[in-house]
Amino acid sequence: MPFNQKPQKFNAKINTVTIGSGDKTVSIGGNSTFPFYSFDAPTANTAKVGVEISDMGLEGASEGIKAYYEGATTMAEIAQKAAAMEGADFVALVLEGGDPNGENKSVEELIAIVKEVADAVDCPLVVEGCKNVEKDAELLPKVAEVLQGRNVLILSEKEENYKAIGAAAGLAYNQIVGAESAVDINLAKQLNVVTTQLGVNAQKIVMNVGSACAGYGYEYVVSTMDRIKGAALGQNDNMLQMPIITPVASETWGVKEASASEADMPEWGPQDERGIDMEIMTAAADLAAGSDAVILRHPQSVATISKMIKALA
Amino acid sequence: MLINRIFSGNDAVFGLTEQAVDGAVRQHGADKAVGFPHTAYCLPCYYSVTGVKVKTLGEMKEALGVIKTLMTREHELNDALMSGVATALCAEFIEALKYLDGAQPYSEPCYGHLADSIIRELGVPLVTGDIPGVAVILGAAPTAQEGVDLIKSYQAQGILVTLVGGIIDQAAELGLKMGYNVRIVPLGKDVTSVIHVVSVALRAALIFGNVTPGDAASLITYTSERVPAFVNAFKPIDDVILAAGAGAIKLGFPVISNEDENIVEVPGALIACPNVADFNKVSLEARNIKIKITNIDIPVAFASAFEGEIIRRKDMQVEFDGSRVDCAELVQTKAMDEVEDHKITVVGPDVDTFEVGSKHSLAYVVEVAGKKMQPDFEPVIERKFHNYINCIEGVYHTGQRDMFRIRIGKEAFNAGFRAKHFGEVLYAQVKNEFEAVVDKCQVTIYTDPAECTRIRHEVAIPTFDKRDARLETLTDESVDVYYSCILCQAFSPSHVCVVTPERLGLCGAVSWLDAKATNELDPAGPCQVITKERVINEDLGSYEDVDEAVQKYSQGALEHVTLYSIMQDPMTSCGCFECICGIEPFSNGVVIANREYAGMTPLGMTFPEMASMTGGGVQTPGFMGHGKHFIGSKKFMKAEGGIERIVWMPKELKDTVADRLNKTAKELYGIDNFTDMIGDETIATDPETLVAFLTEHAHPALSMEPMM
Amino acid sequence: MALNGIQIFKLTPKKNCKECGCPTCMAFSMKVAQGAMKIEQCPHMSEEALASLSEATAPPMKTIKIGTGDGEFSLGGETVLFRHEKTFVSKTRYAVSLCTCMDDAAVEAKLAEIPKVDYERIGERMYAELVYVNCSEGADAAAYTALVEKAAALGRTLVLGCADSEIAKAALAVCKDSKPVLNGANASNYEAMNAVATEAGVVLGVSGKDINELYDTVAALEKLGNKNLVLDVTGADLKETFANAVLVRRAALKDQDRTFGYPSIVNTVKIAKGDVHMQAALASLFTMKYGSIIVMEQMTYAEALPLYGLRQNVFTDPQKPMKVEPGIYPLNGADENSLVVTTVDFALTYFVVSGELERSGVPLNLVINDAGGLSVLTSWAAGKFSGNSISKFIIENVEPKVKCRKLLIPGKVAVLKGDLEAKLPGWEIIVGPREAVQLVKFLKDMQA
Repeated sequence: MPFNQKPQKFNAKINTVTIGSGDKTVSIGGNSTFPFYSFDAPTANTAKVGVEISDMGLEGASEGIKAYYEGATTMAEIAQKAAAMEGADFVALVLEGGDPNGENKSVEELIAIVKEVADAVDCPLVVEGCKNVEKDAELLPKVAEVLQGRNVLILSEKEENYKAIGAAAGLAYNQIVGAESAVDINLAKQLNVVTTQLGVNAQKIVMNVGSACAGYGYEYVVSTMDRIKGAALGQNDNMLQMPIITPVASETWGVKEASASEADMPEWGPQDERGIDMEIMTAAADLAAGSDAVILRHPQSVATISKMIKALA
Repeated sequence: MLINRIFSGNDAVFGLTEQAVDGAVRQHGADKAVGFPHTAYCLPCYYSVTGVKVKTLGEMKEALGVIKTLMTREHELNDALMSGVATALCAEFIEALKYLDGAQPYSEPCYGHLADSIIRELGVPLVTGDIPGVAVILGAAPTAQEGVDLIKSYQAQGILVTLVGGIIDQAAELGLKMGYNVRIVPLGKDVTSVIHVVSVALRAALIFGNVTPGDAASLITYTSERVPAFVNAFKPIDDVILAAGAGAIKLGFPVISNEDENIVEVPGALIACPNVADFNKVSLEARNIKIKITNIDIPVAFASAFEGEIIRRKDMQVEFDGSRVDCAELVQTKAMDEVEDHKITVVGPDVDTFEVGSKHSLAYVVEVAGKKMQPDFEPVIERKFHNYINCIEGVYHTGQRDMFRIRIGKEAFNAGFRAKHFGEVLYAQVKNEFEAVVDKCQVTIYTDPAECTRIRHEVAIPTFDKRDARLETLTDESVDVYYSCILCQAFSPSHVCVVTPERLGLCGAVSWLDAKATNELDPAGPCQVITKERVINEDLGSYEDVDEAVQKYSQGALEHVTLYSIMQDPMTSCGCFECICGIEPFSNGVVIANREYAGMTPLGMTFPEMASMTGGGVQTPGFMGHGKHFIGSKKFMKAEGGIERIVWMPKELKDTVADRLNKTAKELYGIDNFTDMIGDETIATDPETLVAFLTEHAHPALSMEPMM
Repeated sequence: MALNGIQIFKLTPKKNCKECGCPTCMAFSMKVAQGAMKIEQCPHMSEEALASLSEATAPPMKTIKIGTGDGEFSLGGETVLFRHEKTFVSKTRYAVSLCTCMDDAAVEAKLAEIPKVDYERIGERMYAELVYVNCSEGADAAAYTALVEKAAALGRTLVLGCADSEIAKAALAVCKDSKPVLNGANASNYEAMNAVATEAGVVLGVSGKDINELYDTVAALEKLGNKNLVLDVTGADLKETFANAVLVRRAALKDQDRTFGYPSIVNTVKIAKGDVHMQAALASLFTMKYGSIIVMEQMTYAEALPLYGLRQNVFTDPQKPMKVEPGIYPLNGADENSLVVTTVDFALTYFVVSGELERSGVPLNLVINDAGGLSVLTSWAAGKFSGNSISKFIIENVEPKVKCRKLLIPGKVAVLKGDLEAKLPGWEIIVGPREAVQLVKFLKDMQA
């Protein structure tokens, strides 16, 4: 008896969300299979790769990353190099300097950077806040305002500040709302429910369902994404059918394995290589579990993951 | 009479508008452009209501014809309200004419028309509640001081205040700082300038509500539900103001006025309030605006970091001890008019008259009112008091109901902590945490010993008894709905608890009332309503509705669940269960082990071993996790014959549940002292010895129908 | 459908003889239902009962054992496609690849490199458990056997990649006692390879030019009586390989097709030769999706640190959180005078908290005691992170070693402050922030 291949058909699909405006846009989501299961049904959109840049410039970046950006001194130049990276689909600007527990840059200062970056590149943009819920509630509505017409993805609203950010990004300035929850299917769903209750169109929401670095409680990420995709496709749960974006770099470059210098850990070998592999392996696992887009930092990671996605399409 | 006045006001305004438009057409020609600056919505009010953009004087003339069709005269309420809308649209035209040829008709301090960008900016704080409301103050207050006091009262609450007419001069006269940045926006001195705030509300509906221009029904739904505006109109109210007010009412904005002549109240819409000092309170209540309490007015800190503080005897200023003297803490539901929000009363001597280290009576009664408040939530709120009072720096609370003990530390006392501050804390916390159900809250603190005795014995204890009685009579049959609880799904993905009155969550922490309150307070949260209309089998406790809910909330992992059987589709367990019961085949009964019990059971399995196969949201027939309280329930494995099946429990657990269990056994089967028939670890930890014991005591399970 | 414990119990002799090692037949039945014991372990089961049970309780995917002693590994035996449904039981094992096509220097370098990565993480030894020895086309038996012998000297379990039955036979002669895998059966050689593998008593790896041929070859081998197999699902390219890996596992577990009920081998060297970064990505991808053995060109710390962490996470029991060992963990060069900080032993909490503490740069002693592997609030609610348990650990283990008498506790258990003050005389109890991310600022402010 020959092998009987049974495709797994779902009568539901993930929403398609298009980021960016004009000629250069990217679409994520739209698929009706588990990630990369193109043998079950055709793939509508492949996963996308974003390049993370920070308002802090290249401060703290690894050698390989600094080498890539060599010669770029302004945020505009950094953004242009990021957009030109092999395999890059979009640029993600992280406004980490806004963190009141860190640099605590003012909203005005950060908005100036946002404008500089947005003017420098015409690729699709993702703008991430500083993760402090109060500051983001103040900062991200302004970001949404100054980028009117660019159709950017604003990362992210959380349970604590979804009204301010959801209303500004999703209603007042017609951007895409990134809804971030902490690695739990029900929290993710609840945030989508309350965001849509605000009046935000479900088709303009992208989820960040929480992320972790491989080895750091990553099992929760796997199961949360597995279950979300399962519920979105198998149960046709339209409050979980938003595509998922996962900021990988911000998780992976901070852990000891990626950040310890070779001088401190000689047996571990070059720091750049460790950082790249931590980023690549976490991103590959995220994509296998359900991310429709990942945000990476190192040019080698961007190239490799982009190549992997294309080879699987 | 009221309707006639509105009609006449409307007719007057329409006449004026027609004249003005005709005059303008004569002067400038029909093709002359007309519009407000900095808006993409042309004449925003007219565009929102009709879907038609008016860009020239000619079009405005045509539009007047459309407005005329709104002005029906059938003497019904709706005709009056539509005439109000027509009045507002006419006002917009009159105002628009002021802007012809790029004129700037308004100057400091008046704003006139507001740009789209302001609405986008305003929209966010309105959605988040940072701006909890929009007040429109119209006319001149009886005195300038009263007017300014009213404005300031709104300003202090974060409400955006817009001013029209005489109030602007009054505010200026007293030197009030005005401007958008301080949330006081004078619009203009003509009554027609009120249209500029209406324009804001309507554009908000288009921008934030995705309302299609011309979809008047959705427009009005949006403004009434999402734009928390209201009007304060000072007397005298003439027909024109009345007609404009009708327009506001149509949009869902109540009008509060001190006018007492030639006017009738319309409940919830046109409200008489003779005293201007009461405008704030009446307006907020009418529009259902809740002001967030951001800081609690007490002289010490309030934070969860102080929750674990213990005040020792030597550090203590005074003590209130329910075990020695009469004390009580209580929540009572009252009617809306029986509660004055934020009223805090102290009955009896204050703390500073007490000797250091002395013991006293204390009772505090928190009276709450709210459209969605139910007496069933009282204990849920009350249970939080322990946490609230403990979070006060230098104050310590243990126990509950009439058996609590509170100590105020010397440091807190020296910082100024007094009896009324209990009220401030309780008020703020109850209002904040139970915002969804509590609209108004007042607190009375009794330190007078006689009053405390009265409150305890005549008010509190009867209330507690009544509540306990209600809990006793609350059965699965007596309620219409159950609740789901998926709090544990983070680590037990497919588990869904079905919480019923007689079967609380298996963690022992979520009762049916808790689940009900959680659902009211957080409608998108972990506890959702499960109907129980389509019974499949009464004995098993299986319902089509319950199955559907379980399927939905487990994302399809579970298909069927019974409420009362451990053999057929038993309810799943997350891992938090207080107890597990498992089938013991040799005695034809079940063994129950609680989490604290570390030893062996006659099943040949310890609690952790049983837990490993019962947790994780999987159905394991013959095994089930549950709460301790469920053991005495008449619904405990009812499908298999009920509690008569229990053959073994750890001694400690047996002692804990003995009273309820024996009572139920007596009631159901007429057995006295049922627990004496039940084995424990001092009697047997293997099936053979257990069966011998059960035989000796003629345990009913031995002669029951086989379970498998 | 698998039987539940009650159904199995009905078929047991119900004698509670304890000969299986369980105190009661009920306990035994429950363990069989969970897959923790085999029905055959009951000495009193009747023939009919065994016959009816063995089919029903047989797992959909076989557990295949390779290697010996410390190098013995179980592959397969999975029952679910997603880890939230039930635990994944057999960890992915990684093989570093050697090839006859490599020159001696490269071989020596690789042999020297492999043992360098060998460390412990949360109680688990992390190293490349397997070495894949590839026999490239044109290599002769002597050369291959020599390479196999060199590889065997590392003491790691071997996977022989060799499709020539004669060469394989020669190589097995020198290493079969350590139970390597012989990966090389295909549609054209399976009979001969089967004979070699069976004779040597080793697991046979099977491949096919496509998934259908793989299926047919497995069926043919099963017909020959060999059910000691692993399936090399590596295809011509990544796309095909991924499809094969998923389809094989899904057919076995979801569609109960036992022909595909075997563990798999994914050879990333074949589909991404020379690209170590792509191989890293693929190692991660196939750890997530159904690779039992993954072959890579190298396993340096760069690959190992993320990959073993990922594996450790993915193969945890969703019901049993990972725990760290109780003890005092000095951070940032702490000594006996440094501040004491405590939290629970739940691995995720530990990692998040220790990460933030390290970021603060403040020297401190992180004290972990047994809190049942639960998060702060859960273990507190369960009574496992209590005034008693913390103070007992501090008095017994910390006081003899640390002089500092300041203890920082998680903000979520602020409620323990008073109790701890009473139970730890001489200690100052400081309530920390509720969330780990606030620790850096909290410690900074505390120092200021």
